[in-house]
Amino acid sequence: MSRSRIRRWTLICVAGLLAGGAGAAHAEDAARDLPPPGKVRDLDYGDVLFHFFQDDYFDALVRLEVSRDLNRIEHHSAEAELLSGGLYLSLGLHSEASRIFNRLLAGPVPQSVSDRAHFYLARIGYQRGYHAEAWRSLERIRAPLPGQLESERRLLASNVLMAQGRFSEAVGALQQAADDDWAPYARFNLGVAMVRSGSAEEGRRLLESVGTMAAQSDEERSLRDRANLALGFAHLQERAGEPAVAALSRVRLDGPFTNRALLGLGWAESDVQRPERALVPWLELREGRLLDSAVQESFLAVPYAYAQLASNGQAAQQYRLAVQAYAEESTRIDESIAAIREGGFLDAILDAAPQDETVGWFWQLQNVPDAPHTRYLYHLLASHEFQEGLKNYRDLRIMQRNLERSRESLAAFDHMVQARELAAAARAPRKAEVLANTDLDNLSQRQDALTERVAAISASRAVAALATDVERRQWAALERIEHVLAGLPPGPQREALAERARLLRGTQLWQFDAEYKVRLRRAEQSLRETGVALDEARQRVALVEQAGESAPRDTAGFAQRVDDLAQRVDAIGPRIDATAAAQQQMLANVAVQELEAQKRRLASYAMQAQFALASLYDGATAGGAQ
Amino acid sequence: MSSSIKRVAARLRWHACAGALVVCGGLLLGTPGHAADPAQDLRSVDQDVQVLKKQLVDLNRDLFRLEEELLYPASTQVAVFLSLDVGTFFALDSVTLKVDDKEVANYLYTEREVQALHRGGVQKLFLGNLKAGEHEIVAFFTGKGPHERDYRRGTTLKFDKAVGAKYLELRISDRQAALQPEFVVRQWE
Repeated sequence: MSRSRIRRWTLICVAGLLAGGAGAAHAEDAARDLPPPGKVRDLDYGDVLFHFFQDDYFDALVRLEVSRDLNRIEHHSAEAELLSGGLYLSLGLHSEASRIFNRLLAGPVPQSVSDRAHFYLARIGYQRGYHAEAWRSLERIRAPLPGQLESERRLLASNVLMAQGRFSEAVGALQQAADDDWAPYARFNLGVAMVRSGSAEEGRRLLESVGTMAAQSDEERSLRDRANLALGFAHLQERAGEPAVAALSRVRLDGPFTNRALLGLGWAESDVQRPERALVPWLELREGRLLDSAVQESFLAVPYAYAQLASNGQAAQQYRLAVQAYAEESTRIDESIAAIREGGFLDAILDAAPQDETVGWFWQLQNVPDAPHTRYLYHLLASHEFQEGLKNYRDLRIMQRNLERSRESLAAFDHMVQARELAAAARAPRKAEVLANTDLDNLSQRQDALTERVAAISASRAVAALATDVERRQWAALERIEHVLAGLPPGPQREALAERARLLRGTQLWQFDAEYKVRLRRAEQSLRETGVALDEARQRVALVEQAGESAPRDTAGFAQRVDDLAQRVDAIGPRIDATAAAQQQMLANVAVQELEAQKRRLASYAMQAQFALASLYDGATAGGAQ
Repeated sequence: MSSSIKRVAARLRWHACAGALVVCGGLLLGTPGHAADPAQDLRSVDQDVQVLKKQLVDLNRDLFRLEEELLYPASTQVAVFLSLDVGTFFALDSVTLKVDDKEVANYLYTEREVQALHRGGVQKLFLGNLKAGEHEIVAFFTGKGPHERDYRRGTTLKFDKAVGAKYLELRISDRQAALQPEFVVRQWE
């Protein structure tokens, strides 16, 4: 898979999940199938998408899990489930992703969601080599998938058929998808697979169609080169020199497949008895770095061409040059093996690589500085095992950094919880004092007594009982006057004074009566208000008392959670370290094995060069003897 | 030419053919037959890495929750989000957010973040604590308005904070009739 293809594949794994927008050409294409902006119905889901759209999959997943735990994204539950499956998939957690998609399918979900879940299960099955399961999942998709995802489904179907050896069905599936962006890649895959499985003619036809297509982008040009390379060598295997020359001549001179194409072109020219033309690409190729196997082979091919041209002197000279070059390269490989065995070579590689945690980091590794432990890195990267191991090792380093940040956060939380406990302890005496001085029972009794009194006034209509202070003083003065009048001798003067007192009493009673209703209502209203105030005071006191009781419990709860998490961090840390060490050791072994294989190949080439050289000398001697 | 040289050449050519087809075959796009055949011990490490990753996701989830509950309890929590609806008439550069006349956020957007907003993402711009009662939020948006002109607009909202968490959304949308951007604050229940 090409570099950008791998990157794209990873992106697409998740980018297409929301509404199935697995863009074929660019991850951005997925946006066409996303819910239109502004249609987010839970803000927290929008927050997840904000991180997701920035390819920050880990953070998006953590936020998604938290929001789901707290029931904050209930309007998007099915979409969120689908998204979480895709995010786990992007992190390489196939089992977890499968579990989520299967759980989703076990419940009642709209067909559009179940179709997409089946699609992603098919993809997981395919990636893990479970082709029959992948095909069953594909068969369960009931309607065309939205947007670019449908084109990707067709590609997946053809890949699964191909992986099962059902080539004619795969060809049929590809014919239906002729206009898809992915179709050239699928045609290439199928072409190579058919050439390798013996259906060479049909395979070559497919490769020819890709090798002669109009390419718009670097990626397409790279695919076209690859198709021409495969086609050229397929022709070479059949000893068809001219078509091989035609195909290999179409490979660009500045691409990743140039060296192999130059090597093949030389052999094709040699096949049609044009050794002088074979020399042109081979001599060009020999200027390259000797760690490339095509360059290594050119050191033998060049003297072979000279020998074909009967330039035995030059051929012998070139063979000697080859023997010397192989020996020097073999020494450099020894240095690299020693450097790798010293340990820490993965760290050296990754320290030299871009530090940003983005998807494209991997392919920039080819630009790392030339040092013994990194010299053959690009060569090693061609190995899938090495690629996967290096990605794992890098993930483990990122996990270590993440864990370190978690450790720092937990230390801060621990301080915070302790500070809260201290603050609660400091507030406790003042709180106790306030609570002790608050006699709500006494206030409540007084409220009850007043309520009873007002009720009695209302029952007996004791209008004077609601008199104001001034009126009460006037009423008392009137009573004193009447008492004095009662002690005076009878006569017209006393009668006149008594009559005036009676009038005054009547007037005051009339006033009391006139104000009574208003005053009673006001008194009852005041009583109700004090009742409410008293209830509020009771609630506040209860809250203060409750806070006093729960504060230690809350901080203890937080302290316990901090402690639990710290223990988990402590438990995971050494496991990450151990796994990273195992991964490092394993990759060092892979690297050393690969380099030793390279050494053996160089030794074999050197031996062949020496044989050829000896043969030339023999021929020269025999010729001289004759 | 001697037979030995021919044998060498034949071997080399065979090697080149086989090698090139292996290279091409190995590049089969997404073909797991070639891609997923690592040694057993590599698979074992891969499984360990998967388990550790899952544990790390769970750990971060629990840590995230603890942080929020510890620092922003639901009774006092206020969250301010920012979203873009279309946004044809405004290219967002930055936002300044004030709560009760105190600046609580000043955010400068990257192109990547703006794209994420355009695609439907919603940014959690501010998370903080406020007492129950009346408060005021003021947001200033800076960017390019219609005709590439520098553009700065503000919007405000008075809101009541009750006992539960409060969610507010700053929304930038297009007012088609006036061919101008529109900035509103919306309360979520």
